[in-house]
Parts: sequence; structure tokens; C-alpha cells
Amino acid sequence: MWSYTLKRILQGIITVWFIATATFVAMHNVPGDPLSSDRAANETIRANLEARYGLDRPLFEQYLMYMGNMLRGDFGISFTQQNREVNDIIREHFPVSATLGVLAVVFAALGGILMGALTALYRNRLPDYIIMFLVILGISVPSFVFAALGQLSLVNLNAMMGFSVLPVAGWGTVSHMLLPALVLGLGTMAYLTRLMRSSMLEVISSDYVRTARAKGVPPARIFTRHQLRNAVMPVITVLGPAIAAITTGGFVVELVFAVPGLGRYFVQAVQQLDYTVIMGTTVFYGTFLVFMVILVDLVYGWIDPRVRLK
Amino acid sequence: MTALLEVSNLHVEFDTYGGIVKALRGVDFCVDAGQTLAIVGESGSGKSVAMQSVTGLIPMPPGRITAGSAKLRGKEFLGQRRLDGKTICGDEIGMIFQDAMSSLNPTMRIGDQIAETLEVHRGYSRAKAFNRAIELLELVRIPEAARRARQYPFEFSGGMLQRVMIATAIACKPSLLIADEPTTALDVTIQAQILDLLQSLQKETGMAIVLITHDLSVVARMADRVAVMYAGQIVESGSVEDIFYRSAHPYTLGLKLAMPSHSGGEDHRLRPIPGSPPDMFSPPAGCAYCERCDRAMRVCQSDNPPIFSVDKGHLSRCWQQHPQHIAPSDGLYKGTPAQIVEVSV
Repeated sequence: MWSYTLKRILQGIITVWFIATATFVAMHNVPGDPLSSDRAANETIRANLEARYGLDRPLFEQYLMYMGNMLRGDFGISFTQQNREVNDIIREHFPVSATLGVLAVVFAALGGILMGALTALYRNRLPDYIIMFLVILGISVPSFVFAALGQLSLVNLNAMMGFSVLPVAGWGTVSHMLLPALVLGLGTMAYLTRLMRSSMLEVISSDYVRTARAKGVPPARIFTRHQLRNAVMPVITVLGPAIAAITTGGFVVELVFAVPGLGRYFVQAVQQLDYTVIMGTTVFYGTFLVFMVILVDLVYGWIDPRVRLK
Repeated sequence: MTALLEVSNLHVEFDTYGGIVKALRGVDFCVDAGQTLAIVGESGSGKSVAMQSVTGLIPMPPGRITAGSAKLRGKEFLGQRRLDGKTICGDEIGMIFQDAMSSLNPTMRIGDQIAETLEVHRGYSRAKAFNRAIELLELVRIPEAARRARQYPFEFSGGMLQRVMIATAIACKPSLLIADEPTTALDVTIQAQILDLLQSLQKETGMAIVLITHDLSVVARMADRVAVMYAGQIVESGSVEDIFYRSAHPYTLGLKLAMPSHSGGEDHRLRPIPGSPPDMFSPPAGCAYCERCDRAMRVCQSDNPPIFSVDKGHLSRCWQQHPQHIAPSDGLYKGTPAQIVEVSV
């Protein structure tokens, strides 16, 4: 088990290194640079700035320098937001994204597992048809549409009740988080529902469920002891990448609901070619994703004894 | 004396996309306490469906029991979960299946799977049930039972898993054990061990066994009585001697001739039964075996034969057994002048 964990962590480090290198190469091959805006007014200022940020050195030297700093945990200073360290940006805004993301994943996982199991148990009957219709909506409608619709209905609800049931936008309290988290989790919830449904259908017709019925185990206990645990495996597998995707992919929802998350800075940095912020956020998100995948594999081993001992 | 299990006139259908499959078309059999009944027949003949519909294990829908009754000690229980305050499945009737590896929950400890029966039917606490599970593992002769009980199915071999299945099935001391092809997935030596185990457990507990199999050597070794199934009906039933030495149905005779043996010498060849079983979407009006039968007569094509009594306790569903049929029987047993027991439907 320990050597397995160690092996996975080593693999993860190599993956992160690869992500960092690829991003570095791609970033420097995009036309233009962070200084091309109005800051570099003439050649002298430009040359001074390039020297200040080390952009006048050969690319490979920049790469080594950057990697060296990164190993020490220093992502550098933002090009466009003066005197702001990338570390500070991440430190300030990631917890917001992470809170929102985790809540969204909790919604998605609970909703997906429950609805998936329900549709499988009621296969080809009314609850199955209704939920599977909603699932298609959830997968095909983009999140900003849900975000806008959610806000609209919330505004109407608040107006109708005469007081604020839930705030429409902003950040600060739990009540601010509920709607954006739900909207953010909807797509994943729909996807997990489908996954859970098919895996549950497989489990329902399996030999060991027949054995449990032959043992005279009541249906409720068969559901909790025999079906759920076995059916939830594929859901757990995709949960890790889903957590990372939700946490990093939330910038549209963050924008609509005016949530001060990291996603906004990530997108801005790409638009402005803010080298250090791009690298910092990418490597940070990359590490986060890899860590989540490893974590899920370990959890998987805990649930499925066959994985544990290999 | 009433039989332990008495099944009569059982009809079962399945709805499929291709139409309605008539899986069972009037099945009757009974098992006495402490006795072993073997149900033999080829794949699709309905032997598993018969036992699974009696215990309510066939999926409904698409399955459907359209007629019939099943009585335990004279009391009807078909379609019920409980009888006289006892659950039928697991408590009154234990069951083991063919592929033990896929029939056990891969994510649950062996001991817990055995203990579950006791927790559900006897209300044992988890710890008490687990300790009893260890004793049961010892009973089915699994070494180091205490350590083994904490392991998972993938850490066991096929033969060991079948022992675990047996331990689970007998945990509540059922009066009847249904063994659905218990040794099909095992090699011959392990097969012999499992059959020995079943026999010794039967001697100790006095339970009856219904053994579903297509292996005639297993039948010869285990059974007191045999029922031969073909196309959703029992075509011949009787004591094990009746079936092997006094076969009264051409299909039973065909099965015997198709059996491999090592005494025939180099020239010995298997004689397979030509053709294939009838389409169960629309079973033939006459005898289902008619098209493959070398003794078929005109009446076989138009009318399904009734059940004839050949000797006491020996029944055959074949026109050859009609009292007025006097053609040479060439190998087919014809006992005391046969009588019509039941006119088929």
C-alpha cells in the first residue's frame, strides 16, 4: 500500500513537471508578450522592463530560472497587476473557488448517486423517464444559462416573498454559496446520474444480488449493503477529475454571480499573456488535479478490497 | 405423509422483445424430507426457472407465473415471502448457485456474507453472527476459518467459494437446499469434494436437496429420485434406478446414449441426439420431442402425450407408454400395463 502510494506520488510529480513545461513552451510561442500593451511606451522603457523581468535572456535560461523558483515555491510577481505576487493571488482567491467547488461536488455527487440509483430501480417507469429527461437538459444546457435562469427565478422569488430568501449574487455567507454551487454542479450531477444508472443496472442483475435475495435479505438492506457500494465504484473514479474540473472550470459561474474566485484571474491572465500568473495558476491547478486523482485512487482501494492488495 | 415440497402444474412465461417465451408448461414434482431430487435436462429446458419461480427469484416482470401451486409441508406459499412466520428464502429454503465467484458480493467479507443470513432471520448481533459464521466455515471444512472469514471472495479459490456458498445456505438450517448446478464450474476432484460435503451435511441435518444439473454422473451419485425435463415439461420421473435402468422416455434414453464412457473401447462413439429443442415462443401442439425422436408416431405430432404411470412412482410423458401401444419397445422400458395419470393441457 505504501509503495503504491509513493509510486503514484512520483508519477504525479512527473505529470506536473510535464504540464509546467508544456505550458511554458506554448505560452512563449503565442505572438506578443505581457509588455506589448501601453506599459512599454518606447524602446528604452521596453528594454528596461525586459531586463527587469528577465525576458531578454535566452528562453532556456528563463525556463531553468523559472523552474528553480517554482521548486522553492515562488511563482513570481504578476506582470499586469503591479507588485502583486502570484502566491498572494492564489492564496486569496483559491479558497473561494475551492469552497464553491467542494459544495458543488457534494451537490453533484449526492444528487447523481441518488438519482442514478432511483432511475435504475424504477427503470422504464415514470421516475426514470422524468429524471433522464432532466439529465439530458443538464448535460446539454451550458452553465451560464442555468446561472442566469437561477438568478432570474431567485429575483422573482425574493420579490414575491417580500424579503430576500437567498442573495442573488456576491460572496460572504453560506446563503451566497447555495445557488452558484448548485448551478456549478448541475452538469456533473447529470453526468454522474447517467453513470450511476448504468452501473446500478449492471449490479441489479448481478449474480450476487440474486444470492442476497436467495438469502432472504430484505430489499432495503440489499440496496444499502450489496447494490450501492458496488455500483458507486465508477462514480468514485470520475469524482477526482470532476472535483478538479468543477473547481477550475467555475469561472463563468464565478463571473455571473460576482464570486471573487481564482477562475477569473486565470482567464484574465491568459488574455493579457501575464506569464507568471498563467504559469502559477496552471501549475497550481495541475498539482491540484493530480492530487485529487491520487486521492480518489486511494479511496477506491479503501472501498474495493481487490484494488488494495495489488 | 405429505411431501416436504410439492409443486404442481407450474406455468411460467417471460415477456421478451421477440414475444412471450413459455418457459414452463405444467411442471409437477415433489420432494420428501431428507431426500435428494435431481432435476436434469439440457440448457433452456426450464430446470433453473422451475426452482427460481418457486422461490420467487425470477425477475417479475418480465417473468410471470400464470398458473400452478407450490406447497411446503402441505401449505401453499407460491408468491409469498413468508410462511408461518418464517421467511421462505434463506430460512426454510437455502440456495447455492453455479458460479460461486460471481454469486458472492466482491466488496463484502466472507464472514459477513455468511453472517448476514443469521442477522436477517435470527436477529443475531453482528459479532455473534460473525462467530457463528466462523463455525460454519469450519463445518464446510475450510482451514483457518477465523482468518479466512475476514477475507474477500477474490482471495478464495472456486471450490472454496462454493463451500462458502454452502455455509451461507445452511446457516439457518433450512429444510430444503436447492443446488443449482453446484459443481459445473469446478474440476472433477473438487466436484467430488463438494458432492461429498453436500451428502454428509444432508446426513447430519436431514435436509432435502433439489439438485439441478445436466451431469448424469452427478445424478447417479447423489439422487434418490430424478426428474428429466425437456422444453418446459417433466418428461420422465422416477427413482434413480428407474431412470438409469428402466428408462421409459425416448429422451432419457437419448441422454444416456449421449453420455461419454470409458468402457466402450476404441470403437465407442458418442451418439448425440440430432436436432435442437423446439422454439419456446410457440411450442409445438404435439410432443415437444417429436422432431428428434426416432420412435415418433403420427399421434406424437398432433397431441402432446399425457403422463403415464409405468410402475409405482415411475412416470413418463410418452405415447409409447399407452396401454394399447404394442409396437416393439427396443430398449424402452415398458412396465406393468401403463395407466394415464394426467391428461396434458
